[in-house]
Amino acid sequence: MTGQRLTRRECLTRGAGAVVGAAVAAAGGYLLYDPQGDAGLPRSPDLAPGLKNYFEAIDFPAAAPRLSLALGDEQRIEQITRAAVCGLDPQRGMRRFIAAGDVVLIKPNAGFDRPPYLGATTHPAVLRAVIRMCREAGAREVLVTDNPIESPAACFSKTGIDRAVAAEGARLVLPAPHRFAMLKTRDHAPDPQGGEALGRWPVLYEPLARATKLIGIAPVKDHNLASASIVLKNWYGLLGGRRNQFHQAIHAVISDLALLISPTLVIADATRVMLQNGPTGGRISDVAPGGKLGRPTVVAAVDPVACDAWCYQNLLGRDPAQLPYLELAARKIRAAVAAGQKRLGQHDWRAYEREGQITSSSL
Amino acid sequence: MTRSVLEAGTPRITRFRDSRLNWTRITTIRIIVQTVMFGLFAAFVGLTTFARLERLPALRHWLSKFLEIDPLVSIATAITTHTVYRGLLWSLIVLIPTLFLGRFFCGWICPYGSLHQFVRWLLWRPGSARSGRAGPPTPEPGNRANRAADAQQAADARESGINGSTQQSTGRSPLSVRHSPLGTGYSSSQRVKYCILAGMLAAALFGTLQIGLLDPLCLLYRSMTGAVLPALELPAPSLFGDARLHQGAWLIGFLLFGLVAANLVYPRFFCRVLCPLGALLGLLSRWAWYRIERDPQTCNACDRCRLHCEGACDPHARLRLAECFVCFNCIEDCPQGALSFRLFPPREHAITGPDTSRRKLIFAGLTGLLFFPFVRTTGRSTRDFSSRVIRPPGAVEELEFLERCIKCDQCIRVCPTNVIQPDWFASGLEGLWSPILNFRIGHCQLHCTACGLVCPTGAIQPISIARKLGLGRFAEQGPVRLGTAHIDPARCLPLSKDVPCVVCEEVCPTSPKAIWGEEVTRIARDGRPLRLRLPHVDIDRCIGCGICEHECPVVGDRRAIYVTAEGESRSRRHPARDRNRSVRAAAADAPRPGLPDAPRAGDR
Repeated sequence: MTGQRLTRRECLTRGAGAVVGAAVAAAGGYLLYDPQGDAGLPRSPDLAPGLKNYFEAIDFPAAAPRLSLALGDEQRIEQITRAAVCGLDPQRGMRRFIAAGDVVLIKPNAGFDRPPYLGATTHPAVLRAVIRMCREAGAREVLVTDNPIESPAACFSKTGIDRAVAAEGARLVLPAPHRFAMLKTRDHAPDPQGGEALGRWPVLYEPLARATKLIGIAPVKDHNLASASIVLKNWYGLLGGRRNQFHQAIHAVISDLALLISPTLVIADATRVMLQNGPTGGRISDVAPGGKLGRPTVVAAVDPVACDAWCYQNLLGRDPAQLPYLELAARKIRAAVAAGQKRLGQHDWRAYEREGQITSSSL
Repeated sequence: MTRSVLEAGTPRITRFRDSRLNWTRITTIRIIVQTVMFGLFAAFVGLTTFARLERLPALRHWLSKFLEIDPLVSIATAITTHTVYRGLLWSLIVLIPTLFLGRFFCGWICPYGSLHQFVRWLLWRPGSARSGRAGPPTPEPGNRANRAADAQQAADARESGINGSTQQSTGRSPLSVRHSPLGTGYSSSQRVKYCILAGMLAAALFGTLQIGLLDPLCLLYRSMTGAVLPALELPAPSLFGDARLHQGAWLIGFLLFGLVAANLVYPRFFCRVLCPLGALLGLLSRWAWYRIERDPQTCNACDRCRLHCEGACDPHARLRLAECFVCFNCIEDCPQGALSFRLFPPREHAITGPDTSRRKLIFAGLTGLLFFPFVRTTGRSTRDFSSRVIRPPGAVEELEFLERCIKCDQCIRVCPTNVIQPDWFASGLEGLWSPILNFRIGHCQLHCTACGLVCPTGAIQPISIARKLGLGRFAEQGPVRLGTAHIDPARCLPLSKDVPCVVCEEVCPTSPKAIWGEEVTRIARDGRPLRLRLPHVDIDRCIGCGICEHECPVVGDRRAIYVTAEGESRSRRHPARDRNRSVRAAAADAPRPGLPDAPRAGDR
């Protein structure tokens, strides 16, 4: 051998280095080995079927009002909102729905880049009143979120919702990608013949998981395809993914959302009702205060389906029998109730009227 | 042979300066100014977002400031438009001092120059580029021994009386022209920038503005918008949401990377060789009252002044005034105190003009002159326009647009939906990197005119929402129309597949909606009646905002509804569609035209 002799130490370190390298390569190959390719790997793990029932915790006597409306002047939107909520329980008001320490998620409609007066989005004054009532009832935290069609920052800003949220000390949750999770919306594959549409779908899950109570506040609007966009259609904003496919079965999707999401309380903001050119509107002449009622109105309800039916008839002036998603939703919720869930879903609002479960007040 | 640094046995070329900051030194002040300027620039770029602008409308007066003080932008747009637009008057605060002080902008203000200077300081060492001709070894900053040796050498030099005129003819230090590592001395390649400037200004004379391709501020802004910031945003979607997309971002990014990396080989390659703004400021500094002056009586020809010279302006010999960045490194480096920044130094000590022959400049100018007919007669900006060239709302007519747009891409940065994109030859060579709308990426938000608010040159006018929507006193003029939507009946779900949809109608923001639905009942395959709503576009109502295209669920390479530039209202010489209504009313018996009249065809 020529040159310097290899020392024992060098021999061992070099030998060990090569052996360790070979071992790491082999172990890495073994650990990462995948005979199936992408198809065999689980994609994002699906969440268990369904969402929390945010209505579960509410104690609600059988005879208590299911729907309450309040009318008043443009300048008194906060009072109207309070009156509507208190109409459901004159003694406890919001405290019936929100307990001390609750984390409340409020879902307004901020779907479009429109100023509030065009009625395409939730009026910030209604939102402010609801946030304030939640705080008064002892909510630990109030979250506000929506996943608008247009850029979220611009929509929250133009609709005045970001300022309302900031002014009341609530927190705006932007629909950032990491807040979504793939949800199995039902435990079986959807059956299109049975009016089912949603299967696995990305949901704005993070705020929903954090919240203990859920309140939807939706403007009452005409809709080009569904005919109406009220509290049930408002749940679109809790979903992600390619929502533009929903339109291919819009009534099935809206009724699926009615089944999937069981809110604590829903509020229909009819301070300005969009009677035509919905859901975007664009002109003052497209909206009327309170719609067919003619005065700014706020409707609070524990039964979202009845709320949509009532608004469709009394504010938009149309026949709920012609709105397919109402009956579909009622049917799906009935099945859920039969399976033991605590839900309300009556598409015939007159049934409540007959029982005296609709209250109204005028300011 | 005079005593050169080599004779001392050890390499003695070193930084005379200490690495520690000395606050009284002018170069320290310069570095602070450069840092502040770069920070301001970066802050302005960062603040150029719709949300910030919405919250703080006064920002719009500040965001474009760096582009507005750029004399090349104002002079070139003055050549194309014969006006100085709004904030461009601010360029006088750079232009006028340049006439007295020289190219101080390059050494003190320009953020792109500072970036190059920083990278050069970080990475470049003399001789690192060409191993065969290694220069002196890298000096150890702050090396006390070297410094002491320096002082000793300086003292020796003084004692031995080597100062004076003899040194001019004798051997120089290792940094003499023959042996100097690339980039420490003036190079004839530095003439190139004057030719670039001449070509671009000649092209501007005819009305095609190309300075933005190489103007350092436009270039840096475009690189930040198109490549740097998206690259920073991409790994952190939880912080920034989905990263913004930009057509051809790879080229914008690698161009920045390549130009900055050139500092490894050739210090401040861009500033010295390519920068048309530097060339302009170099020409303007011809009459500068103040400049760097070397006292030949004190100079001992050690050549240290060349080592850190930013502009390669030969401070050791006759100063090339047009190349000097007024960085003061040479003054700081001179151990003899032979260099100074003086008022009215003797004229013959400097070369005042650029080192470019008239012939070369004329040739470059001719290239610029020919550029105009060659690009214009391709027809992309006139009759053979691409219907994909949809300009942002408030954009002026195409030919005027090409006179104004400096491709700084600020509009692209500020757009809330990311719909504005740097063009990749859709508007021809002339419009490279100018803003066009891509509705697959975003749509034009109805209540937004942010792009016009930040445009420094008026290529996109700062219109109000009322004017954009045609409200109030703009009612007669009508809304700004970007183009017209067309339905592809072979791809549309209800029209061709019997599947309910009309998302386009739902999202259409005009009132009444430009997209309307026709209720029909068809017989489905299974024989049952099928109620469908079929979309139609009302060309009198469509403003071409593109939200229908963006939201269309048919997401192939062409959506089932798409917007083209036809019917755009910015075309002044052609009546907009709705003003044609009287014509159409007169022809009421004739069937309604299926397409809007092509607005730009036959326009010019």
